[in-house]
Amino acid sequence: MINILTVFISGCFLLAGCAHGPAVAPSAAPADASFHQSPEALPDPSAITDSPGPGRQSNEAAVPDEVFEEENPGYVADPIEPWNRAMFHFNDKLYFWILKPLAKGYRAVVPRLARTGVQNFFANLTAPVRFMGCLLQGKGDAAGGEFSRFFMNTTVGVLGFGNPAKDYPEMNPPEEDFGQTLGSYGIGNGFYIVWPFIGPSTLRDSIGRLGDSFLNPVSYVRPLEAYLGVRSFDTVNDTSFRIGDYESIKDAAITPYEAFRDAYIQHRKKKINE
Amino acid sequence: MKKTLTFILFFLIGTAAFASGIQPMDALKGPIDRVIGVLKDPQYQAADQKSRQRDKMWEIVQGVFDFQEISRRTLANNWKLLSPGQQKEFVDVFSEFLGNTYLDKIQGEYKNEKVLYLGQDTLSETKVLIRTKILRENNVEVPVDYSMLLRDQGWKIYDVNIEGVSLVQNYRSQFSQILMKETPAQLIERLKKKREEQKKI
Repeated sequence: MINILTVFISGCFLLAGCAHGPAVAPSAAPADASFHQSPEALPDPSAITDSPGPGRQSNEAAVPDEVFEEENPGYVADPIEPWNRAMFHFNDKLYFWILKPLAKGYRAVVPRLARTGVQNFFANLTAPVRFMGCLLQGKGDAAGGEFSRFFMNTTVGVLGFGNPAKDYPEMNPPEEDFGQTLGSYGIGNGFYIVWPFIGPSTLRDSIGRLGDSFLNPVSYVRPLEAYLGVRSFDTVNDTSFRIGDYESIKDAAITPYEAFRDAYIQHRKKKINE
Repeated sequence: MKKTLTFILFFLIGTAAFASGIQPMDALKGPIDRVIGVLKDPQYQAADQKSRQRDKMWEIVQGVFDFQEISRRTLANNWKLLSPGQQKEFVDVFSEFLGNTYLDKIQGEYKNEKVLYLGQDTLSETKVLIRTKILRENNVEVPVDYSMLLRDQGWKIYDVNIEGVSLVQNYRSQFSQILMKETPAQLIERLKKKREEQKKI
């Protein structure tokens, strides 16, 4: 029983263990958004956007018609919604009960400089994932940028703990991953999946994560306990920079499950297009 | 009659010209700078001044956000399901909810973030997209784009896009889902409840 559980959990971490470069969490002053590792998300199938209906012209200043005609950019099929909702709930509790307290304690004890170093180190390790993503999408300059950053941060930055490349825009191209690569080939989301520990994903992005995990050195850490330890450390360290982001998005939502689903799909779409 | 018409026409052209004389980026930058100014203003730093600070911010925000337009776009085709009275109520409750949500966050968590203005894309004569970036700690950059529309009173924000996520679209997908099962009155009730919860915190 315990074995099964271990395997299951490690499988999840394996999937999660992929790239996502220098933990850039979205989260803005006005409205934070952080769909990276934060547990949850979801889109909304009912994404029926309106078709221009008659009678919408009410008194006030014209709302241009296109608004109502455009496709719902946050739409995704959600055939396993009951599972997804359960996992959304699980991740939510995981965040509030475990991850957040851990990250807060960790933040109080470990100076920011050290946490930044750790974050840089893990981000540097996933350079191969981003590099391959650039190559597979024919983005030569971006691939060159990734390679240069990896080289510079590994040498001058001492094994990636420093990030001297941050001051060179050409060495900081948009982060690519295999899910985005598949998307750029015209492969759709498939359907929405919320993974425990990992959060929102889709069929396409889950396959992407699995592919990315082969290029992430952390995936090869053994024994299993060590691997899980490293992954957890990375996650806690990362979270220490964005405590509050998840809460912000959740508080801004009327129906959080739908809000995170829509946000995840919109966010990925933007990343694929850039 | 003719005179009146000429006058009205003249007046309209006059205001439109005046309004368009202000560049949309300035129409955005002005209020954002003022909000940041209020956040930093020493007179509002004491705990008992926070609600005054918030009122001040809300005043600035209301001048640049077109909540009527945001509400209409958020409900999209469902907008016509609401009676005129409900529409007004929805705009009031929803804008107050948005104000509470975002202003409280900004007020509570502002840590000297800087706003960079990257550029502006003209979508049409009355619509522009202003691209900005918020610089957070640890070199994290958050792209935030503002969609603005030219109204009689000048350029107003009708959507905010953060990291590719459109605020209007995000609420639209939530509301359309809710309205498949519930009436507009129930949706307004939900928003009111949410607003009450916010007050308690």
